[in-house]
Amino acid sequence: MLIPRKVKHRKQHSPKRSGMAKGGTSVSFGEYGIQALEAHYVTNRQIESARIAMTRHIKRGGKVWINIFPDRPLTKKPAETRMGSGKGSPEWWIANIKPGRVMFELSYPNETVAREALLRAIHKLPMKCRIVKREAGEG
Amino acid sequence: MSEVKIKAESRTEFGKGAARRIRRAGLVPAVLYGHGSAPVHVTLPGHELMLALKTPNALFDIDLGDRSELAIPKQIQRDPIKGFLEHVDLLIVKRGEKVVVDVPVVTVGDPAPGSLVAVEHTTLSVEAEATHIPAQIEVSIEDVAVGTQILARDIALPRGVTLQVDPEALVVNVAAAPTAAEVEGEVAEAATEAAGAAEGAAAEGAEGAEKE
Repeated sequence: MLIPRKVKHRKQHSPKRSGMAKGGTSVSFGEYGIQALEAHYVTNRQIESARIAMTRHIKRGGKVWINIFPDRPLTKKPAETRMGSGKGSPEWWIANIKPGRVMFELSYPNETVAREALLRAIHKLPMKCRIVKREAGEG
Repeated sequence: MSEVKIKAESRTEFGKGAARRIRRAGLVPAVLYGHGSAPVHVTLPGHELMLALKTPNALFDIDLGDRSELAIPKQIQRDPIKGFLEHVDLLIVKRGEKVVVDVPVVTVGDPAPGSLVAVEHTTLSVEAEATHIPAQIEVSIEDVAVGTQILARDIALPRGVTLQVDPEALVVNVAAAPTAAEVEGEVAEAATEAAGAAEGAAAEGAEGAEKE
């Protein structure tokens, strides 16, 4: 599962979810990609789950790229705890995804199978997404 | 490559307000520069431009009213979600002039069974005459043996086109596809790791709760 090796600050503020993706909005490595249409936090478990769903479907003859990394910790206070007495303990690692970001890429010779695999991966993700295809000259 | 004739209108107002007004009118703000001339700010018809830009490195014959200029797209800005054109940079070129452009690499043919084809360079930087830029560079992978590496120098380029990247650069790599057992093993390993991490996180959470 993706997790940072070392962090400067163990507990951080929650990242802002406004705005659009600044870069990484086109398919750069593979032939097809999953593009986010909404802003959302994506946890490392969701990323891993989507990757496994995709890999399991294509079986062999394809390659998967993960363009996002969960480098932001989110904290949570235990249940039935009164407010105060410090920030909660780190609970999740998330990637802050903005609309337009291409999160996963896939290269596979058969387009139908590739789209099925990407759809399975989309079902594991928390936001609305769409499948994008590399355009001529893009990359 | 055929030229796309397009009529441009001079742009006098600038800034995001003016640009948004232009886009609402179905036009695209653009700038034309090159050969040491002062940049010319223009507006171009949105639909025609969008259709023309479907061809990479399309050659435009821009009608500026009093004169016309040949130009190629230098940079294209699109909306990441809706995909409409936000702004286009056009580079003035002359007939017979050589330009360095990125041309898409396309693989043709069916690869040998059990092989995994990875296109490492999806575009190749080449020098070509502005009026004869190839639309794409085709690389045949028909029955290419597993373990073959197609380098930039191995690719047959059209006449008058020269390579501008390292000739030793890897363009297409044909490797052996992982077996179904390998894929399943990797997936199972990842699933076990995820389950272990979840257990660890749960234990850490319980510890944290006790401390509170």
